[in-house]
This record gives sequence, structure tokens and C-alpha cells, in this order.
Amino acid sequence: MRKISVVLLLLVSVLMLVSCKKKDGSDGTGVKLKLVLWDINQATYVPVLLEEYKKLRPDVEIEIINIPASDYIEKVNVMLSGGDDSDIITVKDIPEYASMVTKKQLDSLDGYIKKDKYDLSAYSGVPDELRVDNVLFALPFRSDFWILYYNKEAFDKAGVDYPSNDMTWSEYEAIARKVTSGAGADKVYGSHHHTWRSTVQLGTFQDGKNTAISKDYSFMAPVYNMVTGMQKDGIIMDYASLKAGNIHYSGLFYNKQIAMLPMGTWFIGTLMSKVKEGVTDVKWGIARFPHPDGVKAGTTAGTLASLAINAKSKNKKEAWEFIKFFCGPDGAKVLAGAGSLPAIRNEDVINVLSSRDGFPKECAGALETSTVRLELPMHPKVSQIEQILNEEHELIMTDSVTVDKGLSSMTKRVNEVLSK
Amino acid sequence: MMKMLNLNDIKNYRISSSWKNVFKKTLIYAVLSAGSLIMILPFLWMLSASFKLEKDVFRYPFTWIPETFQWINYMKIWKKIPFLLFSFNTIKLSVIITFLQLLTSSFAAYAFAKLKFRGRNFLFLCYIGTIAIPWQVYMVPQYIMMRHLGLNDTHLSLILLQAFTPFGVFLMRQFYLSIPNELLDAARIDGLNEYQIYFKIMLPLSKPALASLTIFTFVFVWNDFMGPLIYFTSDKVKTIQLGLRMFIQQYSADYSLIMAASLVSLIPVLILFLALQRFFIEGIATTGVKG
Amino acid sequence: MNKKGNTSLLYNKRLVAYSFLLPNFIGFAVFTLIPVVFALALSLMNWDGANEITFAGLKNFRELISDETFRISLLNTFYYSAGTVPLTIICSLGLALLLNQPIKGRNAIRAVYFFPYVASLVAVAVVWNMILNPTMGPVNEILQKVFHIAKPPRWSASVDWAMPTVIIVSIWKNMGYYMIIYLAGLQGIPRELYEAAKVDGAGNLQCFFRITLPMLTPSTFFVSIMLTISCFKIFDLIFVMTGGGPGRATNVLVVHAYNVAFKNFNFGYSSAISLVLFIIVLCITIIQFRMEKKWVSYF
Repeated sequence: MRKISVVLLLLVSVLMLVSCKKKDGSDGTGVKLKLVLWDINQATYVPVLLEEYKKLRPDVEIEIINIPASDYIEKVNVMLSGGDDSDIITVKDIPEYASMVTKKQLDSLDGYIKKDKYDLSAYSGVPDELRVDNVLFALPFRSDFWILYYNKEAFDKAGVDYPSNDMTWSEYEAIARKVTSGAGADKVYGSHHHTWRSTVQLGTFQDGKNTAISKDYSFMAPVYNMVTGMQKDGIIMDYASLKAGNIHYSGLFYNKQIAMLPMGTWFIGTLMSKVKEGVTDVKWGIARFPHPDGVKAGTTAGTLASLAINAKSKNKKEAWEFIKFFCGPDGAKVLAGAGSLPAIRNEDVINVLSSRDGFPKECAGALETSTVRLELPMHPKVSQIEQILNEEHELIMTDSVTVDKGLSSMTKRVNEVLSK
Repeated sequence: MMKMLNLNDIKNYRISSSWKNVFKKTLIYAVLSAGSLIMILPFLWMLSASFKLEKDVFRYPFTWIPETFQWINYMKIWKKIPFLLFSFNTIKLSVIITFLQLLTSSFAAYAFAKLKFRGRNFLFLCYIGTIAIPWQVYMVPQYIMMRHLGLNDTHLSLILLQAFTPFGVFLMRQFYLSIPNELLDAARIDGLNEYQIYFKIMLPLSKPALASLTIFTFVFVWNDFMGPLIYFTSDKVKTIQLGLRMFIQQYSADYSLIMAASLVSLIPVLILFLALQRFFIEGIATTGVKG
Repeated sequence: MNKKGNTSLLYNKRLVAYSFLLPNFIGFAVFTLIPVVFALALSLMNWDGANEITFAGLKNFRELISDETFRISLLNTFYYSAGTVPLTIICSLGLALLLNQPIKGRNAIRAVYFFPYVASLVAVAVVWNMILNPTMGPVNEILQKVFHIAKPPRWSASVDWAMPTVIIVSIWKNMGYYMIIYLAGLQGIPRELYEAAKVDGAGNLQCFFRITLPMLTPSTFFVSIMLTISCFKIFDLIFVMTGGGPGRATNVLVVHAYNVAFKNFNFGYSSAISLVLFIIVLCITIIQFRMEKKWVSYF
């Protein structure tokens, strides 16, 4: 016992000493900006952009605060509640944005935009959707939208034409049934709906008549019936197994177990690099997202990643300068070069992306969009409603309730929240 | 005479119950090994997954033995994240917190169990009461306080937070209660003061409780995720559990690496367990005191 | 003189007691007690985590009554605790009894049973969900092929089975730790007691009920209190395994409080939920302490 205590004491004191090493302070000149973001290892464009910015503004030092993606929102919330003074906050999704705006944690960008006469038209209307009471609090740098990936070999084998850029949801269902083949370990599923709520619900928003916040969700029934029907017939994999197994769509696509995959454009960059690394030799193509009858082809839904200025920042002007660069045309090219879709999507940028090695050139048309709707609209109660939608979605997809019952419970619960 | 009787007893016992004994032993072994298999199975799954390509981890049908062994996964975890630094941070935090926890809570527990003072019951109720409150509820007020003290993003914040948990006091108090008062009274008559009693009598007697508190605290700090998530922002202070989360990205996750890193991070705790095992199992048998 | 001596002695005694308490108490009061009191006081306030705190009176508690999710999560919490506490006690006690036998490789086997307690939760949740996967998991494969059960449970993906699944994993994970506490307790039972009983002609079963079980009551008392408290505040395991789903099937109080605080930014309401939890746990604990004298014997 005594020996152990002595060893322990020694260990503790050594560790204490080691930990008391002095922190290196800044040299006093120049500004230090703190940028909060997630997945720094994954976003290859960030280091490139920081390097470029350093050339532009050698007096500004950027400190990265890297947070795991799965816990990003919790961590940022606690930080901001505690009065953290990080300068630039990356906004991950609309519920988070809405909450930060209502909590007055972000600074309006309108003043800077007016002063610099910064041109917002390049963003094709996206900033307008981010306005709250006509005030803009964040500028998008990355804007992903939903497309349809497919495995060419599966289609060749089944003798079915590749999905086209103008395809309705019922056409999509029909070819999904056609390309399904095999059984057991060799089974190739016609398509794949990942466990996210959006893989089903997006199809119900495309016509623009409804959004995720509604007083009556019965409009979702047709798409839910289609997807649950496909699930019952084994055209797509069972939701419950995917969810419980944490099964990721990428592995299934690399292993050629699925013929089609409705998914966001974020997967393009990953797919290209995995093919290059030799992880998979899947021959892939992309097409525009399927759409409901009577809706223009190229209508899809999207998500944004934006930068915003923390209301508690002490270097707001410098922060704005950085945001202007990161979200602007120069930043956009770097993003596209890394295989990601920037918020500014002019021809230049698309060319940079589609001319990258490994991009299926004949499919560049799939990246042309006519309307991109936000997955979730701005609303002060959007996160609470999203929670309800997710819960009921889970119940419908696991076959715990019927489609109609699930949707009516969704309606009832959302109305309760809205009326409060 | 006594000796003879004993010998006879043993002989009789052997003859009459050797078959019964064999049967009993076999049964125990059967139950224990079936149980062990259930205990171990998930770890075998982890082991197998840690040697696979990411895309094959969840492939159906599942193969227990990967086609090709991706030893490189065990190299990758050191390169993709600063695993060595994270391990060092985790060890540092676990050791310091465990040490402080042992020291202060056994100290306080002695007062709660063996000394009389005004407000003892109320104070103890406060301790127990806070055990009952989930940390998620007060983590924001706590964080705000730490920020005002300028301690966020330092190891000190987590040390201060976790070194004085009421659980340790409770565990030690329950153990001390079972040490007979007569022992202490005798020592007092012999002229020992309370500090001497604590160091000379209580501490040596409480090895098993201290050992199990060590394990509990160490494992808690080692596997804690929310605490480090909330308090640590820069890479140089982060822990293994935060590192594991870095393998889960927004649109993808490297589960083979998560499994590899989890298995590696298991090793130090297991060593600790094996080293301490004899304390909480054999230490008390000689004293006749139990916890 | 005498009287004065007595009071100063008493005073001294108290000082000694406080000096034992102080190192822990300062840390505990500053870093735990104050934030806890603050958090509980929030139950009477409105706070979104950023803007000003305003007084809300009993509004948050009135809201609890009509909150369906709160009712569901309260019931789920009781369900989880009622399943986990007794089963964990039985399993860990049984294990301790088995591993107390003089058998070969005892230390190694003990380590094996302790393994799960040490493992990181993220990995554990993934692995168990895979092993119990409704269509691809080995468990259901065995149930179908060996036991010919046509429709095996869908485990964490079904409303009815999600909670039992979480309970099973929780027992698997924590059993080893409580086994250790019981093992320590078993070592403390003087052997003479058994020898005396054997001489009196008592059988194994009688020994167990007359000696082992009563002598273990202090351990059982401690285990049951710790288990009850930790079951009522269960969060991590459920959060990583099911996220409270499917639907709200495994939504427990702390998960609900967490969602209310970090998704809806209603810290006041979240505190009200926790206060209810706190009161329930406190009542149970006080009852346990009251009953301590009736069944726990400190020899």
C-alpha cells in the first residue's frame, strides 16, 4: 500500500508539473480570429483557404476550434451561453441558426454588406431564405442539394436505362423495382433511403405548396406509402436494420449493394476520393433529384453551411473581412476544387468541379438546378417541430404505426407546439 | 486429538462428495464460460471490425474473420488524430482526479461516519441529493461559472469539477460505518487523536473500498465524454473519448478506426483492474470487516 | 473550569470534524452545490440560455401536467429502473457467489466479467445494436435457424422491445462493477460462521439464506441505492443506443430534459423536469435509508 501511494504521489506531482507549462501568448501585433467549425480533417478546403487568406492578410491569425460534428450544436450552444467570444461561428443547420438568432447571439451582416456594397446576387437568392424579419445574420459558403447517385453496372446488368435528369417519383419507383436483383448476400437493392427523415419527406416539399412546418401533414402520405411499399417488397433495405446497425449509405454504395442512392451533393467529393484511393471501383453516375408530377425538373432541396459573427466578438470588422473572402467567389473556387459545392454556383465554379479527375463528365447536367428549397424553413420553433417529425418518421418507418396514423399524430403534436 | 478429528473429517468428506464435487465444478464452469462468451462476444466483434476496411464493417452477412487484415487501422489511429497526446491527457486527468477523489472523500467520509457535529445529517443529505441530479441539468450554470473563473479549456476545470463528487464520500462512508466503533474508542483511549486514527487505523482498513473507488473514478474519467466535450476546445487538452468522436463525421464515420481506438484505450484500464484486483478481493478477508 | 473545559473540548471536536470535511466540502460546494442550486432555482424562471432570465412562477410546473412527452418519459424511467435494479442485483450477486468458489482461472474470469464496465459507450452501443440487429444480427439468425422462431424480436428497432434491449445492455455493462462490491462483501464473512453452521447440520441452502444473505445486507444496501439513483438518471446509454426512440419508446426523463434544454432552449422547463426527478429519487433514497435499520445488519 505504501509503495503504491508513493508511486501515485510521484506520478501526480510529475503530471501537475507537466501541466503547468506556460501557455504561449500572442506577440501583441495583429489580430487573432477564432473560427468555430466541425470536421476539420474532412473539409480539405479549409486549410487551403486559410493558407490563401494568410497571403492576403498576413497580420491576421486564424485559430481553429474544431468540434466533433455529432456534438457540434450542443457544444456551440453551451459555449455561447457561457459568453464565449469566438469571432466566427459556422452555422450547421437551420434549427441552430434560428435558435442563435432568437437568442441574439449573432450580429447582423446587413451593415457590412451595405458599407462594402457586397454583391449578394451571386448567391442566387439563398440569403433571402436566411433573413429573419428581413435581417441577415449569416452568409453561406457551402450549399449542398439532393441528387440521385447510381451504380452504372447494376443498370447495365439489368438492361435498364440510366436514370434521367427529368424523372418523376413514380418513374423512380418503377426503375428501382426493375434493377432489384439477387438474394441473400448477393442481393442488389433497387434504391436506398438512408434513415434520415429528409430522404422521404423532401419529396413532399418539392412542389412548394408545403414545408416541414404545417398544420396538416396528410400531404406526405403518397411519398410515405411509396417508400414503405418499397421497403415491404425488399426494393430498399429495411429501415429498422439500417437504424439499429448504424449502417452508412456509403459502404453499401461502395460495395455495390444498392443500384440508386438519393443523397446530397456532399457525397460527390467523398466518392471521388474513395475511388481514387482504391477503396471501391464502383462506376457511378449522377442524375437530378426525382420530382413529383407537374413540378419542373431540377427542383430539389438543399442544406447550407454558413458563417456568422458572434455578437460577443471583439474583432467584428476583421471577422467580416474573413467571411467575405471565405464565402465569396475566391472561396467558392477552392471549395469546388476540393469537390464540394459552394454557395456561389456560377459556371466557373461548376466547371472547376466537373473537370476534376474522377467526376463523371457526362453527368454535369445533374448539378443544374431550377429551384433549391431549404430542407427546413426558418421558424422560431423549428427545432422542437423537427424533433416531433423525426420521432413520428421513425415510428412509421419501423412499421410501429400505419402511415395515416403516424401522420395524424404528427399533425396533432405539431399543432400543439404551434398553438403554445 | 483435534488434529486427528480434522483429518478424518476431510477423508470422509472426500469420499462421500467427490462425485458431487466434480458435478458441481463442471456446472460452475459451464455457467461461467457461457457467461464469459456473452461478455466477450461484443469485444470479438469489435476486434474483428477493427481489422476491416471501413466499407466492410457493417457488411451483411457478417464475417468474423476478415478476408484481409487491415493492420494499418491500428497505425491510422495514431496519425489521423493526435492519439498519443490525447492518451497522455486522459491518463493525466484520470490519475489526478482519482487521487484527489480518494484523498478528499475518504477524509470527509470519516467525519460523516465516525465523528459527531452539528448539521451532519443535513449536510449528508445535500451530498446524496446532488448525486440524484443529472449532470446535464446543471452543466450550463457550471460552465458559466468556470468561464468566469477563466478556467475553460484547461485541465484544471475538469479536475475541479470531478475531484469532489459526492459519490466517493458516500461509498467511503458506507464502508466506514461497518468498521466497529469499539476499535476507534480503544485507539482514543490509547491517546491517538482523530488524525492518527484516520491514518493509522481507517486508511489501512479501507483498502478494498479505496480500490473500488479508484476503479470507479478512473473508469468514469477515462470514459467521460460530455465533460471534455463541454470544457475542452483546443486539441492540446482533448481526451481519447473526444478523439473517438472525431472519427464520426457529418456525413460518414470510420467505425473500424473507432473500434481499434476503443480497444487500445481499454488496455490501461484493464491493467489497472488486474493490479488492484487483489485489494478489493483479498484485502478485507484478514480484517473481518466488510463493505 | 470543568464546564469550560467541556465546551472547549466539544468545540475542538467540532473543529476536528470540520477539518476532515473541509477539503472535500469546499470543492463540492463551489463546483457542484452552487450550480445545482442555481439550476434548480431556474425551474421557477424563463431562460433560453442567452437572454435575460425572467421570473415565471409555477408556469413550468403547470406545463408539466399537460406535457405528454413528460408523462411518457416518466413512465419509461420507472420501467427502466424496475427492470434494471432487481435484475442487476440478482446477476451480480449470483456472479459474485460463483466467482467466490475456489476454481482455477478465477482472476481471469473476474476480469472478463469486468470487461464491459470499462468499455467505451460509443463502441458498445454500436456493437450491441449490430449484434441485435433485426435482420442481420447473429442473435436473430440463431433464434430463427436454431430455435425456429419465425418472428424474432426486432430489439432496439421495435417499440415493444427497445426498452428491454436497453435494460439487457445496461445489465451486461454494469454487472461486473457491482459483482466486485459483492465479492468484497463475501470476503468479509467470517469462515467460522459457516463452520459452526455445518457442525449444527445446516445445508448449503440454509447457509446461504441464514448466513450469506444477511451478512451481505450492507453491500446490498449500497448497491441498491447506487443502482436506483443511476437508473433514474440514465442518459448516456439511451442517448447513444436509441436516442429515445423508436418514437418515444425509450425517452426517459433526463433525455427529455436534455432535449428541452438543448433543442428547445427552455432551460427553465428543463429544470422543472429535473426537479421532479430529483424529488422522486430523494424520496426513494430517504425511504431506503429509513428502512436500512430494519433489514441491514452491520455486524
